Amino acid sequence: MADLTIDWDYAARVSEGKLDLDWLHSWNHEVGEEIKPSRIGLTMKDIAVGRYGDIPEEAPMRTMAPRGGEREAVMPDMGYTLNKRADVWAENVMDLYEEAVSRQWSATRDIEWSEIPDIDPDLEHALCQVCTVLSEVEMIASDFPAKWMWQINHDYVEAKMFLATQIMDESRHTEVFRKRALAKGAGLGRSRAATEEFLKLILDADNYSEGSALMHLLGEGIVLSLFRAGELLSPSPVEKKIFRLCMQDEARHVAYGTMHLRYALANDPDREGEYHEYLDKGERILAALFTIPEVVEPLMILAAGGEEEAAALGGQAADMLQMRVIEEYLQRCDRAGIDRRSRIQIPGIIGGYDPAEHGVTSEAAMAQATN
Amino acid sequence: MPEFPSGEWFDALAAQANDKADDLAEFGFSNIRLACRINGLPDGDRYFGLRVEGYDVISDGEIDPASWGADCTLEGPAQVWFEMVSNIRENGGADLSHTLNALSLPEIPLRIVSDDPMGRDLFFRYNQTLQEVFDLAAEVPTEMPVTTRPNS
Repeated sequence: MADLTIDWDYAARVSEGKLDLDWLHSWNHEVGEEIKPSRIGLTMKDIAVGRYGDIPEEAPMRTMAPRGGEREAVMPDMGYTLNKRADVWAENVMDLYEEAVSRQWSATRDIEWSEIPDIDPDLEHALCQVCTVLSEVEMIASDFPAKWMWQINHDYVEAKMFLATQIMDESRHTEVFRKRALAKGAGLGRSRAATEEFLKLILDADNYSEGSALMHLLGEGIVLSLFRAGELLSPSPVEKKIFRLCMQDEARHVAYGTMHLRYALANDPDREGEYHEYLDKGERILAALFTIPEVVEPLMILAAGGEEEAAALGGQAADMLQMRVIEEYLQRCDRAGIDRRSRIQIPGIIGGYDPAEHGVTSEAAMAQATN
Repeated sequence: MPEFPSGEWFDALAAQANDKADDLAEFGFSNIRLACRINGLPDGDRYFGLRVEGYDVISDGEIDPASWGADCTLEGPAQVWFEMVSNIRENGGADLSHTLNALSLPEIPLRIVSDDPMGRDLFFRYNQTLQEVFDLAAEVPTEMPVTTRPNS
């Protein structure tokens, strides 16, 4: 613990005009040259030069002192537990932070709330049930980074800053779907325990890597596909815009998750088995989501245009969506450097109903759903 | 009046977007190289390159996909492209079933293709901006090929 006693001698010297100025006269950490901003302004990447861009593989101290500046030899231990670059880093994290800041939006100001048309009550209720699920699941992606962020060493401050944007993004998603559910008077629908099982798995993750793989890569990848489906099935331009704006945010989070896992595995390939175990667990629970009526049926009703039409169409639109979700997730896993194709736990691909085996292609399903 | 599709038409779209730069800037900066592949034209499949760099929209006109280095490619039959552009022009913007995402999510009639899922995901990361750009086709004087007109 550093000495916090008041230095009365120094106070007396200063009062006599005798400044210390050692910090000024010994200044030796210049960048070297003036930094030229890039075309969008002065970015975090622009200033990551020299000692300021030297991101240590293992942080030498557990301090909030800014990376690259001068530090005392002994500083208070802030209690960080994530002290290795591979714990939290992704090669795209600086770009994603800038993008997130640039592309913020307001659920209050940027959505044309007064232009939502009156629609068939079944469609309105189906949409509100989708909003209920999304308002519920989105906040986990605020809570999880918030739980871990203070434990990330300040030498990886760009990762912390990106996670701060994610917390804001997901808060806004919870807000916008809650607002849409209430805006026309229909209100929020039903939450199910099974949905919360997946959220609890993320929140209770033993370490950041496990939670990040489950949330950024698996969970948010699936929600990204749900946002795309929401945009397709939206009953008016107002919801279209809501889903598009959320889609953009979610895709950033997935981009971080994919590249973080890639970075972590590249630096410690021995951890691959550990990640497989995390994803095994997550996929098994997520597979159950595809069998929750409150998750699947509202999308079917919106796709088909009504309750009776949804019954006639059956699960073809949902099957299509599931196929897209799984394939896009597997491609991201490939990119991250982890092969999940041989052991995926979601029954649509292995061990259960495979729409492709039954001749249900995404093209046929969606063509019927959207005609 | 530029014909769709042509390099001149994409140039005009980019110029229109840059005229509305302040409006587009509200959605933030973007960084994507989007190739538009229009299949089944009389002279075969044709590719056009559209970049959004920062707040600038740049048309590279007709491109060679092998050397252009797209992050992702939006591709589909010419008839669908004609329909999308016509729909945008008739409605002042894409209607519910003619947005870029709606046309490409099921992988029919359009689809988004990339060797790299990170490149494909850029299409989602900048989707609102891309939609705003394509909606500006409503303000681009456009000559549509005779073969796309009703009863032709």
